[in-house]
Amino acid sequence: MSIGASNPEYVNARVRARRAALFTDEDYRKLIRMGPSGIARFMEETEYEREINALGARFSGVDLIEYALNRNLAKHFHDLLDWSEGRLYDLIARYLRKFDVWNVKTIIRGVYTDTPGEEIETDLIRAGEIDDSTIDRLLEVDTIEDAIETLNRTMFYEPLSDASEVYEDTGALVPLENALDRAFYENLLADLGRPQEGPEALYVEFLEAEIDFRNARNALRLARSGADLDPASYYIDGGVLFTQAELSRLVTDYDELVGHIADSSRYGDSLSQALSRLREAESLIQFEHALDAALLEYADTLSSSYPVSVSAVLSYILAKEREVENIRAIARGREVGLSETEIEEELVIL
Amino acid sequence: MFEITPEIAATVLQGATLENFTDSGAAALAVGLAALATGYAQRGIGSAAVGAMAEDDSTFGKGLILTVLPETLVILALVVVFLV
Repeated sequence: MSIGASNPEYVNARVRARRAALFTDEDYRKLIRMGPSGIARFMEETEYEREINALGARFSGVDLIEYALNRNLAKHFHDLLDWSEGRLYDLIARYLRKFDVWNVKTIIRGVYTDTPGEEIETDLIRAGEIDDSTIDRLLEVDTIEDAIETLNRTMFYEPLSDASEVYEDTGALVPLENALDRAFYENLLADLGRPQEGPEALYVEFLEAEIDFRNARNALRLARSGADLDPASYYIDGGVLFTQAELSRLVTDYDELVGHIADSSRYGDSLSQALSRLREAESLIQFEHALDAALLEYADTLSSSYPVSVSAVLSYILAKEREVENIRAIARGREVGLSETEIEEELVIL
Repeated sequence: MFEITPEIAATVLQGATLENFTDSGAAALAVGLAALATGYAQRGIGSAAVGAMAEDDSTFGKGLILTVLPETLVILALVVVFLV
């Protein structure tokens, strides 16, 4: 497919229609007061109808909600890849490969713990670029070497093969998972170059923000845990907020780390609320939610500066993911009996 | 699209000199270019309209109207033909 033959107008029209169908604040307020079965019934009357009906006979309660959400998410994102052509496909697939990472990780963990294929399958989100037949073959493998071999035409093959030696020496999955994450993030920006203007420049800026936030999150977790881990092995290249040396230094001092994020000209303003909350509340989850909200808002801003471009698709992807996370948080929260205010704190609503 | 413009011009102007490039020839060129621009504008609007329609049938009417709006370009260009 030639680079010029992309169809942003078509994809944008469809994406905006679906974006408008997402749950509103009002819907969330209703959901918070319902139990798991009530939530499932509510979802049956929305665009989740088909998934709830298909899975309703096999699952119930929170499981039903969760599998229906995963399946709906996969359907929508699969559609995005189906519709888009040329350059647009490339830009969308680049980002959606995070579901490939998720699926491969889940399968590797399943193989590691000898979980049968059917049980793994329910946890997969088939929204990435790896096609269904490859995933089905992956579900049948018995050893991790076979799994890596099955992936031999994807971008994950080489990093996984390199990491598998370390895995064989230590028997721990961490090197494999780390290799997958790195392959994803490094391919996110590689060969995009650094366009100076136009929608693609904003796309790159968004991905940089994603990497920066990921680094910030990892660094904060390390700083909080006080564990004696090498931060360098978690550092992701490509962001603008930290260099590797800075991150290694900042991990040891929590306050300084927060200060560094606050001082940055790019995110300081948009995260100021989150940062002050972090200093007071001392809760990592609150900060992570604030990061998510900031990223969501960022994507929204991009989609209005360049209406007919990949930006609108990106902001839809994030908003849809958020909706699924929110519904899941409500369902889980109700199940374990959290109060309404506690659940509300778990939600990220713009 | 714009890469082929010089070739089109070269083909159209084959053997043409300024003497035999008449008024009606110029008018034809004007209408032709306007039609080309209309087509280019309708390409984007049409594909967006089809996308919107695929999500929601009720947008058919609006989509149709928006798609034919650039048609005014070529209709107005047609006025030139009657002027020469």
